[in-house]
Amino acid sequence: MMLNIENLNAYYGQAHVLKDVSISVNKGEVVVMLGPNGHGKSTLLKSICGMVNSKRGRISYKDQDIIKLPSEKIVNMGITYIAENRELFPYMSVVENLKLGAYSKNARKHEKKNMEKVFSLFPRLAERKKQYASTMSGGEAKMLAIARGLMSNADFLAIDEPALGLQPNLRVEVARIIKEINKQGKTILVVEQNIPQITDLADKLYVLEEGHITFEGSKDDALDNDNLKEIFLGM
Amino acid sequence: MFIEIIEVIISGLLNGSVYALMAIGLALVYGVTKAFNFAYGSFYTMGGYFAWTLLVSLGVKGGYYTVFLTAIPFLFVVGFFLEKVLISPLRKRSDWQMKAMMLTLGLSLFLDIGYIATFGPRLKSLPDIVEGTIDIGPFAFMNQDIVIFILSITGLLCFAWVLNNTRVGMAVQAVAQNPIGAQIVGIPKDRVFAATFAISTIMVGIGGILLSQKNFVNPQASTGIMIKAWVITAFGGMGSIKGSLYAALIIGMLEAFVGYYLGMIHIEVAVLTLLLITLAFRPQGLMGRE
Repeated sequence: MMLNIENLNAYYGQAHVLKDVSISVNKGEVVVMLGPNGHGKSTLLKSICGMVNSKRGRISYKDQDIIKLPSEKIVNMGITYIAENRELFPYMSVVENLKLGAYSKNARKHEKKNMEKVFSLFPRLAERKKQYASTMSGGEAKMLAIARGLMSNADFLAIDEPALGLQPNLRVEVARIIKEINKQGKTILVVEQNIPQITDLADKLYVLEEGHITFEGSKDDALDNDNLKEIFLGM
Repeated sequence: MFIEIIEVIISGLLNGSVYALMAIGLALVYGVTKAFNFAYGSFYTMGGYFAWTLLVSLGVKGGYYTVFLTAIPFLFVVGFFLEKVLISPLRKRSDWQMKAMMLTLGLSLFLDIGYIATFGPRLKSLPDIVEGTIDIGPFAFMNQDIVIFILSITGLLCFAWVLNNTRVGMAVQAVAQNPIGAQIVGIPKDRVFAATFAISTIMVGIGGILLSQKNFVNPQASTGIMIKAWVITAFGGMGSIKGSLYAALIIGMLEAFVGYYLGMIHIEVAVLTLLLITLAFRPQGLMGRE
């Protein structure tokens, strides 16, 4: 098992956001977590990446307990968070954003190789190397956020709503890219609300509602569940 | 007439270069942490006393070479340590920027009173960094001013180079532009905050050495410097480094012209009028981002 979470509880101020959440992700898998907005999906990803202070439980990555580690150590171990709202460096160019993506010690050694990889995966970014992140369209910025995440040389990507707010053709593109990087060996945990193209990639599905895991299983299991079918798979 | 104007412009440039060195440190800390460092002026005074202790009290060899070579690591360590011990714990609390302002205000008072307790209330004078004057064409310059100008510009260039060409510099810019983004890519934010504080301490402390040897080491200089640095950063745009650079040069120039043509007494009025008009019409300052 690559990532294993047991009884994770997380808090934002007074709010108890995650309640005894347990999930696991195997090496090479794409795991998709569905759930309504505001029910804790992002908090789960941020907890894994060391970006939520108030939490208890167990998060182990490659058999090491990481729940108490600061985010920079976690990044260096090979976990990267790709934020829903991108969190790029607005007054830096595409290349500078990518270089900063390779900030951690582990990523630095592979910066050149990863930069080439990223440009072949995202040819549009290669055409816009010097453009400021703040002047990019929503879709391009999303691509840059994913690309910056790949620069970290991570084995494990925690991707937060990658297709949210994108036009249908770009959703297809994002799904294609996730599939491609998974094929290149990355393990992926992606949270989404209702994007069939991405749900389709899942080796395993979870549903998170009001801080609890309410479903765990394969796509076929989910399709057998009438409730899920209607609410999350849009069928 | 023409020569007069050139002389005034040169004097404005000299003012502006030191102002820039000092104001940029303040802009940097604000830009990165969004917290205002009220103790900033007290590190200016610290620079002066550091030089005095070495040159006058201890009489070290090597004069100002020794002073600058030791002042840089000394100021760095002081800044880094104070940030780690006093400010860093505040960051775990909500609204920490406001708490940091309160704390640095307290720190400023503490340091200023500490200087008086340690060194006495009287002004102290430092040996001149160089003596004499030099004539270039129709212009006469004090060598001292030339050295101040060269060292300030060198300091600014070093700073710009570090900011744009080193990993630390890129990390500092990343935290300033998007702290969450910085955390995502694995930049140790706490260390960047402390390093920023330390770098700004160096800049204002060096400014303190340069100007104290021209004027005096004054235990009560901190407030005046703090206000000047604040006026420049507010005029240039809080947190904007380029803005502070331009603002420092504009204000340096304005002071020189007003001082020469209208009299010294009008300088502060002119500077503050410029600030108020600017902030009324452009609250983010010259180059601040809203």
